[in-house]
Amino acid sequence: MNLHYVFHELTHQKRRTVMAVIGLSIGIALLVILNALSLAYHEAARAPLKEIGADITVQRPGNVPEDLAGAVFPCSAVTIRKDEIEQIKKVFGVQGTGTAVLLWVFEPNRAWIVLGIERENPIGPSILKNFVVEGRYLEEEKPEALVESAYARQFGIKPGDSVSIAGRQFPVVGLVDASHAAKIAVANLYLPLSEAQAIAAASKTLQSVSPFALGDVNLLFIRADQEKITSVASALKGILGNKVAVATPDSFLKLLGSFFAVSDKFTLVASLIAILIAVLIAFKTMAGNVAERAREIGVLKAVGWTNRNVTLQLLAESVVQCFIAGFLGLLIAYAAAFALGFMTVNIPIPWEMSPTPHFLPGGGAAVYKTLRLPVHIPISLALFAVLLSVVIGGLTGALLGRHISKIKPSEVLRHE
Amino acid sequence: MSEAILVGDNLTKMFDKLTVVKGASIAVQKGEFVALVGKSGCGKTTLLSILSGLERPTSGRVRIAGKEISGASEDELALFRRENVGFIFQSFNLIPTLSAWENTALPLFPVRMTEAERRRRATEILDRMELGHRVDHLPAALSGGEKQRVAIARALINNPKIVFADEPTGNLDTATGDAIMAIVNRLHREQGMTLLMVTHEPELAKTAERVIRMQDGEVLS
Repeated sequence: MNLHYVFHELTHQKRRTVMAVIGLSIGIALLVILNALSLAYHEAARAPLKEIGADITVQRPGNVPEDLAGAVFPCSAVTIRKDEIEQIKKVFGVQGTGTAVLLWVFEPNRAWIVLGIERENPIGPSILKNFVVEGRYLEEEKPEALVESAYARQFGIKPGDSVSIAGRQFPVVGLVDASHAAKIAVANLYLPLSEAQAIAAASKTLQSVSPFALGDVNLLFIRADQEKITSVASALKGILGNKVAVATPDSFLKLLGSFFAVSDKFTLVASLIAILIAVLIAFKTMAGNVAERAREIGVLKAVGWTNRNVTLQLLAESVVQCFIAGFLGLLIAYAAAFALGFMTVNIPIPWEMSPTPHFLPGGGAAVYKTLRLPVHIPISLALFAVLLSVVIGGLTGALLGRHISKIKPSEVLRHE
Repeated sequence: MSEAILVGDNLTKMFDKLTVVKGASIAVQKGEFVALVGKSGCGKTTLLSILSGLERPTSGRVRIAGKEISGASEDELALFRRENVGFIFQSFNLIPTLSAWENTALPLFPVRMTEAERRRRATEILDRMELGHRVDHLPAALSGGEKQRVAIARALINNPKIVFADEPTGNLDTATGDAIMAIVNRLHREQGMTLLMVTHEPELAKTAERVIRMQDGEVLS
């Protein structure tokens, strides 16, 4: 193999080389960008859960009492017992859990959506502590409250005020802008978990439809091994029953409705087509090149090149050409990824995951998590693309080189 | 001239049912310049291909520099040609994408040596061909005579034991053809180059020391 010869061939036959490189690079760029898009949608689908530090959320649907007075559970989230949570913590693949209690509290003159949160647990809504816009965050073991800033503005609530929830008084210590924190389990009022549990346990209306003990919750957040999310979700149904609502990145992916989101098979098939196009272009170009050079190869053999020498030379030309195409394809894919990164994606949040009574203002409005499509090309995908180009080049060059190297020099040189 | 460097013994070549070479026997002594002449289609180019190891005979044997090559494999023949044989073709057969020195060094490409060494050896021979000023030129920038001189340089770069030339002036005008033959004769005289040349031109054959005639696939003399 002579590299001088390789580069002379590629640069001298500019048109042929450029056409082959462009064709192949488009195939490689398609392959990369399709997979990058698929990864981007998968990552976007993780966003609603990621922002509350979880991979899975669990809710058990139930009944709403006929009489909506005092503290009740929304129909989408009734009691998950303490012993059930202990079982879930032991499921293989569960790395950590967070809990919360979501209540609708109907006072004579106002309705509250109340969320009892674990103050410091990174799995769950404690992310709120980063979104305190006035006052301070909740302190340990104190019966105090945070109010969502828009709600506080609407009703003129300020830090220092006191609010009455189910007959209990809570000093307002701060305001939080929950709209920027998360879209799941959004409430008007945030209390320490133990306070919300006490309110729930004391509510006869609530107990009448869903028995609740101190230590029980109605929202469960799970951080799990990424590879085992599906098996964990399946195990949860075994513990909590088939009716339990389990939200995973996959369930959000289905809600997105994109081809890339709906089916990994689509990406796989499209990628295979892109690879096939790349292979065909490489093969066609190389076959044309080799056919044109039959006489030249006859001369090489006449002056003493062995079949292996000829094959290696053609293989090197094909590999170099395909490597350049792969690299160019990658550059095109990076440019496309940059452009696609400006696209926004709206992920619908099911009403059940952030339930608001329908009869309240905005209660039936669709909630979306909107974010820029996080398109990026992982280094492993980039390396795979370049490696694939080289393999295509190698196989094409080797196959055609082997075939043409068997040519008899006397046959192509005879007809002078 | 006591040692036969090339021996072809009772060579026959058939393409399907057509016999192109019929029982040809030929011997060329070391340092000899032999012309193989005959009408177009008489089988002389086929015989040259068999004798040089480009083609296998249907029957008969070929020995070059004491080595029997008739039964050798394709790759063995290629290696043998690289080390022992030089070719000058009628239509030069230079690689259009390679410069004059690279074309000259073509047989050395598969040989393990530095690029500088290849260039040095090619340039040295091109200098002898009075092409020292054209070493980096592509074939397209060379005249017909210059192309054939590059082809001669390529044939000589491995110090071959015998050079086969097939109508070396066939694509050149008379003056250029004469100049090329002058070079070939000089190489034969001064360096003792063994040469078997195929031609259909009687005038050209006269420059050789010995003429072998062919007719209808048979060697006459």
